[in-house]
Amino acid sequence: MVADNVSFTRALVATNFKATVALRGAFVIQVVFMALNNFTFFIFWWALMQHVTTLRGWQLGDIQMLFGMVAAAFGLTVTVAGGVRHLGRFIEDGDLDTLLTQPKPVLVNALGLRSQPSGFGDLVSGLIFIVWSGQISWSRLPIVVVVIAASAVIFVACGTVFFSLAFWLGRVETVATQLWELLVTFSLYPEPLFGGTLRLLLFTVLPAGFVGYLPVRILRAPSLANVTILMFVATGYLCLAVLIFNRGLRRYGSGSRFTTFG
Amino acid sequence: MSAGTIAKYAAFSRISATQAGRERNELYGRMAFFAVILGVFSSLWRAVAEAGMPVAADPKSLVWYLAATEWILLSAPPIHLEIQEAIRRGDVVYRLGHPASYVLAEFATGFGLLAVRAPFLGLTAFLCAFAFTGWTPPLSALLIVVPFGFVASTVITALYLGIGLLAFWLQDVAPVYWVWQKLMFVLGGLMLPLELYPAFIQRAAAFTPFPSLLAAPASVVLGTNAVTPGALARNLVIWSGVTAIAVSWMFRRAVSTVTINGG
Repeated sequence: MVADNVSFTRALVATNFKATVALRGAFVIQVVFMALNNFTFFIFWWALMQHVTTLRGWQLGDIQMLFGMVAAAFGLTVTVAGGVRHLGRFIEDGDLDTLLTQPKPVLVNALGLRSQPSGFGDLVSGLIFIVWSGQISWSRLPIVVVVIAASAVIFVACGTVFFSLAFWLGRVETVATQLWELLVTFSLYPEPLFGGTLRLLLFTVLPAGFVGYLPVRILRAPSLANVTILMFVATGYLCLAVLIFNRGLRRYGSGSRFTTFG
Repeated sequence: MSAGTIAKYAAFSRISATQAGRERNELYGRMAFFAVILGVFSSLWRAVAEAGMPVAADPKSLVWYLAATEWILLSAPPIHLEIQEAIRRGDVVYRLGHPASYVLAEFATGFGLLAVRAPFLGLTAFLCAFAFTGWTPPLSALLIVVPFGFVASTVITALYLGIGLLAFWLQDVAPVYWVWQKLMFVLGGLMLPLELYPAFIQRAAAFTPFPSLLAAPASVVLGTNAVTPGALARNLVIWSGVTAIAVSWMFRRAVSTVTINGG
């Protein structure tokens, strides 16, 4: 069963990838412009850190690593599971009907429906930022891959939870998108800027801490304990997301219509 | 422009303002996002001050600077998305035959949205900046920022219109928007006053509309007297004119190349 789902996911990703690169010109433009977008954003940090050497213990290299980590994880998310940001609309518009008739898990199918070419730009620029930070040696490459994957899983899980609210609340596109953007926004700023209750929220409801801060801690000083915590948390959020989606699916009202996805 | 023409386009603005007033979810979302950004940056500027960076008089004025720049930027409705969709679907063709200019009608629609968003977001900016700093800039500074900021938002709306029209050639204008947004971010001094960027960025910014649209109106709250209201007004008039000419030229070029297939 699990092996079957993994093989289906792999086929879905491969098909999406082929569809994405089919329009080669548009693909290249989106990738290049997204990478440019990320580098331009980082000019802010570069200019700021010309004036101060550290921000509560964080140096420019640490911020580069955080930025790269989040960009790569985000890129991986929207490339492989681009449908996550459209789940709310699928639910509201009854677009899950066509997936319900298929013999594969609805959530996996829905997540794989919209691969974003710009995600490759995020992924590539994120990796460049990580290398550029000068804090990673080649020997740590496997850890980099593991933490990026775990961070992406948390992104997918959070997106699934936020957008699945549509099962119960109806039109939640705006609210869910805002929650998603808040998660991305908070994860891009250094951890020591946030304290108190907000810090608690960033490690629970809006887990920017697990998307960006903990992975960066792991990359700076790898420890088995932190890697285990990250894996445990990623698995936990994913299970929660699947549980919530499946609960919601029981309440799903069919749109009674024919739709073609492509 | 006759009174009848003005009334016609004012009707577009009125309709969009009424719709925006009814569908406030997106606006509330923006207000929440605005509050969070100001919270994050008030924390950032405190950390910067702790690190001993010789920025403006104090970190409080930088939070107000950000409140002003974000207010100007977030108030401008992203009308390029609707325009892009209308062009991609071909709906724009039906509009070409109407007794109203497509460009002016879209601009008027955007202005109606701006008129609803600006007061809400302005209030959010004021309340949040005050809550995070416990301080307000002098009233004389706010009286300059508000009208000039509103005009700047109007010009940004017109620029969004221009970006949307690029869909006639590009189909997907998102990449252009991303880069435009980030140029605004850096060359406009969205989060960091331009004086803190290296000299070559400041020199490059001077050739673009971005500083006149964001940094110049917002820097009034820093109390640096870097720009006078007269110079600000002149720059905004110049860039409004340039934007109007560019958008109108783009639309004429686009319409002359459109192929309409009947059916």
